[in-house]
Amino acid sequence: MPSNSKEQAADQLIPAVYHELRRLAAAYMRRERPGQTLQATALVHEAFLRLAGAGQPWKDRNHFLGIAARSMRQILVERARARGAQKRWAGLDRVSLTESLVRGADEDAMLPALDEALTRLEQLDPEQARIVELRYFAGLGIEETADALGISPATLKRRWALARAWLFRELSERR
Amino acid sequence: MNAGDHWRRVRDLFEAALEQPSGALESWLDRESGGDQQLRADVRSLLDHHRRTGSFLLEPVGNRMAELMGGDARTLQPGDTLGSYTIVREVGRGGMGRVYLASDARLGRNVALKALPPELTFDASHRDRLRREARAAAALTHPGICTVYALEELDGDLFIASEYVDGATLRYQLDSGRRPSPADLAHIAGELAAALGHAHHHGIVHRDLKPDNVMMTSDGRVKVLDFGLARLSTPDAAAGPVTQPGTIFGTPAYMAPEQLQGDTVDARADVFAFGVLLYEYACGVHPFGAATPLAVAARILESEATPIVERRADVPPAVAEVIDRCLSKAPADRFESGAGIARALERPERSRGGHSGGAPRRLATWWRTHQFVAIGLYFVASSLCWQIKEWQPGVTTAIFVAVAVAGTVAGVFRGHLVFTERVNDPRLASELQRAALVTLLADLVIGLALAAAGLLLASTRPVPAVLAIALGVGVGLVRLVVEPSTTAGFMNPKA
Repeated sequence: MPSNSKEQAADQLIPAVYHELRRLAAAYMRRERPGQTLQATALVHEAFLRLAGAGQPWKDRNHFLGIAARSMRQILVERARARGAQKRWAGLDRVSLTESLVRGADEDAMLPALDEALTRLEQLDPEQARIVELRYFAGLGIEETADALGISPATLKRRWALARAWLFRELSERR
Repeated sequence: MNAGDHWRRVRDLFEAALEQPSGALESWLDRESGGDQQLRADVRSLLDHHRRTGSFLLEPVGNRMAELMGGDARTLQPGDTLGSYTIVREVGRGGMGRVYLASDARLGRNVALKALPPELTFDASHRDRLRREARAAAALTHPGICTVYALEELDGDLFIASEYVDGATLRYQLDSGRRPSPADLAHIAGELAAALGHAHHHGIVHRDLKPDNVMMTSDGRVKVLDFGLARLSTPDAAAGPVTQPGTIFGTPAYMAPEQLQGDTVDARADVFAFGVLLYEYACGVHPFGAATPLAVAARILESEATPIVERRADVPPAVAEVIDRCLSKAPADRFESGAGIARALERPERSRGGHSGGAPRRLATWWRTHQFVAIGLYFVASSLCWQIKEWQPGVTTAIFVAVAVAGTVAGVFRGHLVFTERVNDPRLASELQRAALVTLLADLVIGLALAAAGLLLASTRPVPAVLAIALGVGVGLVRLVVEPSTTAGFMNPKA
């Protein structure tokens, strides 16, 4: 394909930030069915613009990933909240435990409550909230998340387990 | 001990406990908590919950993004009624919400009902903005723009009721892989530019022009949909700014560079989108195509598109020139508005002596045929009157003379009009006006004279008599009924 070299040349001009966002976007794209790509595009795009609009230049890749994950959390939670999903949320219990959470509607209903719990967790330990944002909202792997936070993967695994347990307890006790 | 210290001890104990064999856990906890009952209870409960977390949070939320971002609060089924509307069926699902075909009982017509997603209608300021937009959009009436009827609040949800357009979107045509002929391309470019020009003239910018928003109706017309995202480009001081700078709507792939950067946009952003859209439609290739939408956005900002003629050689030069100019990075290098595009598309076509677009050219052919048929009929009428004069001399001689003279005069004028249309097109309108009265009088004289001759002949030769009367009535009717519409359609195809 003759235009390939041109595209490559253009890609080299793209600042590193595009690469990062593109990678995040691509991760979402892979999971989407054709015809639904618009939503993912819109999300990543909106996340990007919030970053750009926030007026805080990202210092490095890790800093950037942090704010991108934060933006995604805000956007997704806002949307879930706007749909009035909170009303349907009745808390976690032993029955709804794990399987039901896999379904989108329940997750949708859970998001606002999760967000509030996460805010409380953040007051206790900001690092915990960042782990959840990177793993759950931005979809980063263990290694990447550990790298972004500057801790070892083994430590990250333990702290991620703590965050999940803490949030799970918070949501179970909420009625 | 403050909360921070407590948390750190909980954390460290929890993490250490994960490594302990479960049998010895209780005694280990007793030992490690050092008699702090609150600490022990906290860690114990976290460990309990830890064992039950299952898949909680393990799958990133993005995996179900489509449901989270696009899911509506509710869907409507055929037969559901909302206010005076009855849902016929769902006809589409856009980035903003579902679209239904519904019948409106009040006016007995079909409308398209677009459900606005709750996140857009959530707070009062958004609702106000939508109302302003709907009002602005409803002010637009143009054959190339899908008319917005109303913003309806039905059962607590907001809907935009608009004209129902039956046809296929340009996206559908693109996906079908069929490329338009050069003539079709020119036709669509012209219609689209005219529609945009109309909106821009009224201070309304689409902002989200894309193949999904352009419909081709079954009779070959172009309709721009979804002025739902358009807003007045002239700031309304009383209402406050309708768009915060930095807020982005729309699809990145058709956004102008300034729009991607979150700057304020005007009609020239639509001009850019017009260029991208037609480029893609003509070639089947996006001018800034790349693997992911963000890479597309980056290329829009930073790289130049391959000139369209290098991708497809048979694009009409005027169209190619227009598209390339629309894709300029700097707004100032593009056309000011849709009207500018329309003028640029028309100019070179005119100088070649034709009319732009397929429909006007077809009308011109019909109009020319009409003129030649009329001239032919004058001959037939004169010959018939000559024959009647031979059969039954007397007053018929005068009738023959009248028909021959009128036929000659009208024939000369009609020939002159065809000549003007072929050779000196710009003068055609004024010549048509000049000739209108002459041909009208001549045709009426011929019609009446034929009818009179027919009546005189009726007693002796009934068959030629009926023929003459029929021909007379026919000539008169064609002049009074048919010709005004063919001429008007030809002179002003957009009317």
